[in-house]
Amino acid sequence: MNVTLESLATCFQGLLPAQLFTCSLEGVPNAAYLSHVDYVDPTHVALSFQFFNKSRRNIAENPHALVNVLDPDTGQGWLLRLLFERSETEGPLFDRMALRIEAIASYCGLKGIFKLRAADVYKVVSIEPSPEEQGGQPLTEQSRTPEPHAIFTMKAMQDLTERIQRADSLETLVDSILAGLDEDFGFRHSTILVPTDEEGVLVTIGSRGYAENGVGAEVRFGEGIAGMVAEARKPIRISGLMRGMLYALAMHREAGHLGISPRLRIPLPGLANPESQLGIPLLVRGELVAVLCLESEVQYRFHEDDKVSIELLGNYLAIAIQNMQLQERMADVQAPQVAERPQSAVPVASAVGKPRREIVYHVADECVVVDGEYLIRSLPARILWRLLTAFADCGRDEFTNRELRLDKSLNLPEYKDNLESRLLLLRRRLEQKCPDIRLVPRARGRFGLELACDIGLKTMP
Amino acid sequence: MVDQTLAAFIQEGVGIHIGTRNERFEPNGARALAATVDAEGRELVVYLAEAAAARLLPDLRANGQVAVSFGRPVDDRACQIKGELVNVRAAEPHEREKIRGQFESFLNNLELIGIPRAGGANWITWPAVAIRLRATAVFEQTPGPAAGKPMS
Repeated sequence: MNVTLESLATCFQGLLPAQLFTCSLEGVPNAAYLSHVDYVDPTHVALSFQFFNKSRRNIAENPHALVNVLDPDTGQGWLLRLLFERSETEGPLFDRMALRIEAIASYCGLKGIFKLRAADVYKVVSIEPSPEEQGGQPLTEQSRTPEPHAIFTMKAMQDLTERIQRADSLETLVDSILAGLDEDFGFRHSTILVPTDEEGVLVTIGSRGYAENGVGAEVRFGEGIAGMVAEARKPIRISGLMRGMLYALAMHREAGHLGISPRLRIPLPGLANPESQLGIPLLVRGELVAVLCLESEVQYRFHEDDKVSIELLGNYLAIAIQNMQLQERMADVQAPQVAERPQSAVPVASAVGKPRREIVYHVADECVVVDGEYLIRSLPARILWRLLTAFADCGRDEFTNRELRLDKSLNLPEYKDNLESRLLLLRRRLEQKCPDIRLVPRARGRFGLELACDIGLKTMP
Repeated sequence: MVDQTLAAFIQEGVGIHIGTRNERFEPNGARALAATVDAEGRELVVYLAEAAAARLLPDLRANGQVAVSFGRPVDDRACQIKGELVNVRAAEPHEREKIRGQFESFLNNLELIGIPRAGGANWITWPAVAIRLRATAVFEQTPGPAAGKPMS
């Protein structure tokens, strides 16, 4: 039978456990489970080397190995006879395998417990079907969740491009991108995160396909899929996430017995049981503009082709987002300053029958709490507090981005402050948690503060 | 060698693989279907489809060296038993039910982690051969830093 390694691509997604057989120099065979077999090229595969186990010791003295992989689509087993060639401890292959391991571990809150020591590259000597593991009809139609397959057609690309062209603000751009990925390509669950003014932290500015939009949810670089993508500035594609997580948790339990404690984390909002995830860094000339994350409950949702196409698309999205940020910033320069109104123009805390919101700014933590519930922190919190105090003190209800940029008390970064992203984040958080207070765009670089409630303002040290 | 707790794990319906090697020390291996442990925990019988046995039996008869791994998909708990061949025979018809029962439990376990039963529906479970082996060592194989440590 003439079977190519490429035709077994689905076997290398880590959906089903693989088995590695080796033999010592004394002639003692060894059978062990494998976390992952990675396709390298038409004649090579790579196995992850994480621990100095018996398989690894055997390979060091006897290069022959046999790997049994399963095709998740048909159930057909395949036997790959291998010859060890080399260990890679750096480079694209090593990075890809290490990222996958770390991303799964990080998703479980177990980052740093296990790391890839090397990507062991083997020459594939032969490929045979395993006669006892006979395959059947592809399972895709029978038993998998129906989900439209993403097709990167010119039509879909054109539709997305048109959506992006129509967007007139960062907010509509983010929504257009996520809607386009859903409706034009079939990626139903997506999130866009941007770097915050705090070093090494990402914040969610838009999502689609979730019960909770999760805007404002933060993740540190290196945590979870999004954090790993931001740290590595490389795409990560994971299939069989559930099995990978089980594997990671099994390792954690074993590590726990040996006295290694994991670092706990609060997970980002997302699907309850994701099976596939794809994270793409949106980069412009090496600068991280945003991270796009897609996920699915389907085990093998994102194919290698999808990753390549999304990477290409990501370059375009990154430029579109950065371009919009620059445009909005340029518009500020031209926007006239809004005159301060007399205090009497807008009465504060006077209307009868309106609900009243008690808003507290915690100075030390730089966070805003509304009626005892956390709303937002950091720069968006400082901006909101400035707007609310201006409203309370002088009755102002219209502001420009430019005046915020010029306000030294807000302490915006001199270079690339990403103010529009912060305002978008603030607007969305208010919509979600405190819809009585709204930031309404009125013109480019200008927005209104609209209150459907009375407010009480208080600062806490 | 194999205590009662481990024997129960081995016989509950887990993923089983059997490894051998030829005279050139090239490894060989196959999926097995079921296993039983004798009351003293010294010997095991591992069942595998005749279709798989065909490629392993020449190795077993030539040198008797065997390794069997047991893994539970739902939590990746795993162990490996090294041993030496005692004998090989065709599985008896009355053993078929036992083989099917353990194999079905394994498919149920796969289903718990989202792998449809249909994936293993065409795997061959009969006719089967019974390989009796004497256990010489037992190793922890649950993924992690303790993997590879002797259990007995």
